[in-house]
Amino acid sequence: MMPTLQFIDASKTFGDGHNTIKALKPTTFSANEGELIAIIGPSGSGKSTFLTIAGGLQTASEGDVLINGRSLKNMREKELAQVRLQDIGFILQASNLVPFLTVDKQFSLLDRVKQHNMSPEERTHLFQTLGIEHLLQQLPNDLSGGERQRVAIAKALYTKPAILLADEPTASLDSDRAFEVMSLLQKQTKLQNNTTIVVTHDTRLIPYFDKVFKMTDGVLKQEN
Amino acid sequence: MFLAWNEIKQNKLRFILISSVLLLIAYLVFFLSGLVNGLANMNREAVDKWQADAIILTDESDKSLPQSILSTDDVSQVKNANHLAPIAQINAIASRVSDEDTRQGVAIFAVQPDDFIAPNITDGHMFGRKGDVVAADYLKSEGFKVGDKVKLSSSDKYVTIVGFTDHARFNAAPVLYTSFETMQQIKGLPIESDPLVNAVVVQSENISTIKVPTSLEVVETETFIEKLPGYAAQNITLTLMIAFLIVISSVIIAIFLYVLTVQKASMFGVLKAQGISNAYLARSVVAQTFILTVVGVALGFALTWLTGAFLPYKVPVQFDILSMLIYALIFIIVAILGAVFSVLSIFKIDPLKAIGG
Repeated sequence: MMPTLQFIDASKTFGDGHNTIKALKPTTFSANEGELIAIIGPSGSGKSTFLTIAGGLQTASEGDVLINGRSLKNMREKELAQVRLQDIGFILQASNLVPFLTVDKQFSLLDRVKQHNMSPEERTHLFQTLGIEHLLQQLPNDLSGGERQRVAIAKALYTKPAILLADEPTASLDSDRAFEVMSLLQKQTKLQNNTTIVVTHDTRLIPYFDKVFKMTDGVLKQEN
Repeated sequence: MFLAWNEIKQNKLRFILISSVLLLIAYLVFFLSGLVNGLANMNREAVDKWQADAIILTDESDKSLPQSILSTDDVSQVKNANHLAPIAQINAIASRVSDEDTRQGVAIFAVQPDDFIAPNITDGHMFGRKGDVVAADYLKSEGFKVGDKVKLSSSDKYVTIVGFTDHARFNAAPVLYTSFETMQQIKGLPIESDPLVNAVVVQSENISTIKVPTSLEVVETETFIEKLPGYAAQNITLTLMIAFLIVISSVIIAIFLYVLTVQKASMFGVLKAQGISNAYLARSVVAQTFILTVVGVALGFALTWLTGAFLPYKVPVQFDILSMLIYALIFIIVAILGAVFSVLSIFKIDPLKAIGG
């Protein structure tokens, strides 16, 4: 089985000359369908760099990254955008909602820009699971932080991406809701058979993950 | 269009204000263009009404009607024109005998009542007797009416208004049409002498075939109008004002749209991070600009017409729908170019920075 996401000696260096910072040391990593993976580590350790390279938002300085077997190395921005649109779903710390679109229209926008096969029944089920079915006519500004994050998660899952990348998805949620969200991500990962990678500080969530990696000073190591 | 329209619907006040700015700029340009037409028309409408192809003047006159004096012999030598109409002109100050305070600068034209340049009558009747004149109907708003005895500054004779005609202003002065006999009388010349003619107005399919004595020249109607005192200078000045206004408003609109787009940079960045293409976002910005500009310009158009309907008779504004449509089109094109310019800023947005990476 081909891994969904592969890092092959991929590293990221910022700056040049004496002022170079190696944010991600040469990393080899692979993730398969149906896996829920945690990346933990202190702030500034390189977790976000790893996540943004995995999401095609920046490219590795050396080595290569493959998504469904396709190398991102020499892709132009237009091709990377296409990969992000078709294969990747993002859940960001700051909610990624369009401020002037109602919750319902956030999904209409996705219907317009991306081909997907979410049936109306699946859609209703997704909204019910995330508890957002009563929020469809609300604008993002009318939602609480937790509601916004749940809508953002629904948005990321809506198009059934092969890879779901989440940067602190539970940061703005209370404990009960955080566990609920993790439980949902776990369920959806198995149901949609995608790869979900979550960057988190919250070690209470570790039991939900299939694999846990720790990032320290740009070095990624799998935990037991 | 989806993003564009939904943003407008959710932020009505902001977009009403933006459209209002476009409305006011369009209104100003439309109104100025109306003023250009109106002022131009004040100079030329009598000549336009003749529907003449050319005017024959003396070579020495520098295409000025009062400076050109033709003899009867000169007129008889003009060949190959379909229609010829001799004309004499003099300027004067006219005032009603019953109320000498009603002074009004006029251009007096002597024409033959059966020539193609003779005035059509909208009120009263055509001049027939000595001393009869047909006046431009603009004089009605100055209190002149059929039957009024009028004193002319250049003469000790009186004339009587026997009728009115429309669209009869020349070089910004209302026209009094009269016979050559009356003109001789006004000028203090003996009626029996050959009438003095300033020019011959011509209708001809091909003016290049018209034969005239060497002392005369055939001047195309448009050239004759361009040479009217002050006409070209006034037109160039006002047209330049409109051109500068369009250039300045184009820059304002472009800056406006740029700021509007830059304000949404983080939102565009997040959408780009999600893989939504530059092209989709660019189309959205351009569509939004198109909607705002069309609404603003259309309302500017309507407001201009509404203003025109309530303006006093004396305000020299005349709206020409074709030139207004051209200006409207220029506005829409300029705004879209401004939007395209602002779209370049979308292309430069780094989605990584926008999501705080």
